[in-house]
Amino acid sequence: MSTTAALGTAAAPAVKSPMGELELRIEHRGARSVAAHQYHRGALRVLRPHYLDESGQVCYVVVNPGGAYLGADLYVIDVEVGDGAALVLTTQSATKIYRTPGSFAEQRMTLRLGERAQLELAPDQLIAYREASYRQNTRVTVRPSSSLVMAEVVTPGWSPDGASFRYEELRLRTEIHVEAAGGTELLALDNLLIRPPLNDVTGMGFMEGRSHLGSLVVVDERVNQALADELHGLTISHDAYTGVSLSASIGGTTGLVLRSLSDSTEELNRLLGACTALLRERWHGQAPLNLRKY
Amino acid sequence: MSDYQLALQQLTDSALPTGAFSHSLGFETYIERGLVHDEASFGVWLSAFVGQQLSYSDGLAIRFLYEGVPVAGLDSLLTAQLLPRQLREASIKMGTRLLEIGLEVFPSPELAAYRELVTTGRAAGHQPLAFAVVARSLGVPLTEALAAYLFAAVTSLTQNAVRAIPLGQNAGQRLLRKAADDVAAAVGRIARLAPDDFGAVSPGLEISQMRHEHQRARMFMS
Repeated sequence: MSTTAALGTAAAPAVKSPMGELELRIEHRGARSVAAHQYHRGALRVLRPHYLDESGQVCYVVVNPGGAYLGADLYVIDVEVGDGAALVLTTQSATKIYRTPGSFAEQRMTLRLGERAQLELAPDQLIAYREASYRQNTRVTVRPSSSLVMAEVVTPGWSPDGASFRYEELRLRTEIHVEAAGGTELLALDNLLIRPPLNDVTGMGFMEGRSHLGSLVVVDERVNQALADELHGLTISHDAYTGVSLSASIGGTTGLVLRSLSDSTEELNRLLGACTALLRERWHGQAPLNLRKY
Repeated sequence: MSDYQLALQQLTDSALPTGAFSHSLGFETYIERGLVHDEASFGVWLSAFVGQQLSYSDGLAIRFLYEGVPVAGLDSLLTAQLLPRQLREASIKMGTRLLEIGLEVFPSPELAAYRELVTTGRAAGHQPLAFAVVARSLGVPLTEALAAYLFAAVTSLTQNAVRAIPLGQNAGQRLLRKAADDVAAAVGRIARLAPDDFGAVSPGLEISQMRHEHQRARMFMS
């Protein structure tokens, strides 16, 4: 059940016209995944597709030519990965949120995965600058046989006086639904809300004295406690404070959430990269994701 | 005296056998790291826990139930939102006990219906929802129900901290007196939260709850 349905509220009306729109539908054709539908409008587009290895998995890079999100900007991204298709979706550079006085920038992303579809979401880090407010709403629908990996890094931002955590508010909300025989059910709700003006976000319970936050969400029928323990073991050698846990299971598939606090984007990228490398190798026989080699 | 006063006291008494004494809900990880080691440092954790987790998950779930949101949907939201496994299991374990006790001492059609959802596998049975169903059926107003629930949670956690750190009994009472202010503030805040706020987490609290799974020596199940 979706949160909005459960809480009896209508979805937020799209009163504002989007600054940027992107639609992408990937299908498996022959030995490769290709775009069967592609549409973009305004300040969002994709670079021409890449194939990083021989697996047939296609890689698309999302570009925001405007360079940043501003107040009241709305970006809408709609991606479908069809049965048996495989996609890596990344960004060309960090997502930067500038001042959004009296308003907020927003990204609404809808991701749909078919049977045995594989999606890796590997955006660059998110940077919210002074007086920025940002809402990122992501709704993912998977099949029990789909394979989803989402990695994300959030930085403490930056202001001219050198202080960090000067943004107003960050909301990163992700709902993951499983479409199984008995209907569609909510598997995981990951709702991150950071409001520096309201709390001392640096201390105990919040950022634990660290500045950067990394998240990894994996949904796959092969996720189990042994994998969670193994990933936990992988994180120990990194300079980061990390936790890993499993969601409940729905329709035979399970979610794994890894959350990590550290002091640099690079350290978190190494940690998240080590985890995704293990999954790529074991599940898909693929080499570690190297997005900077082309 | 209101009709529900003694019932509410029974329901929120720390002697109510739901097993709350065996859950730290993550603070044991802070003890192991040496970050929670005395009255003041536990107070910092408790304040963050009341202001964040107890407000945005348990408290908001109770409010939504009172506003008429069906219990089945709220139950699946809580299961999806409580991502640290031990935290989710704690909520279900204590919720299941509260359902059993509630049906014996404060039965109502609403509570029986919730238990039916749980026994037929259509709901997990979460503690704040079991509490809210009983409190609502007893006619307890929302504000009182929230304050009672949050303060009961704070009392159990403080008693557990007194044993685990350990702290003196008077230190525990001083902590409770201070936590009452946090509970009052939380009750006010919960009334103003929006549906999208449900389940907002603080990374540090959550990571510590996840890491508890790998802690070697532990007194608590969560």
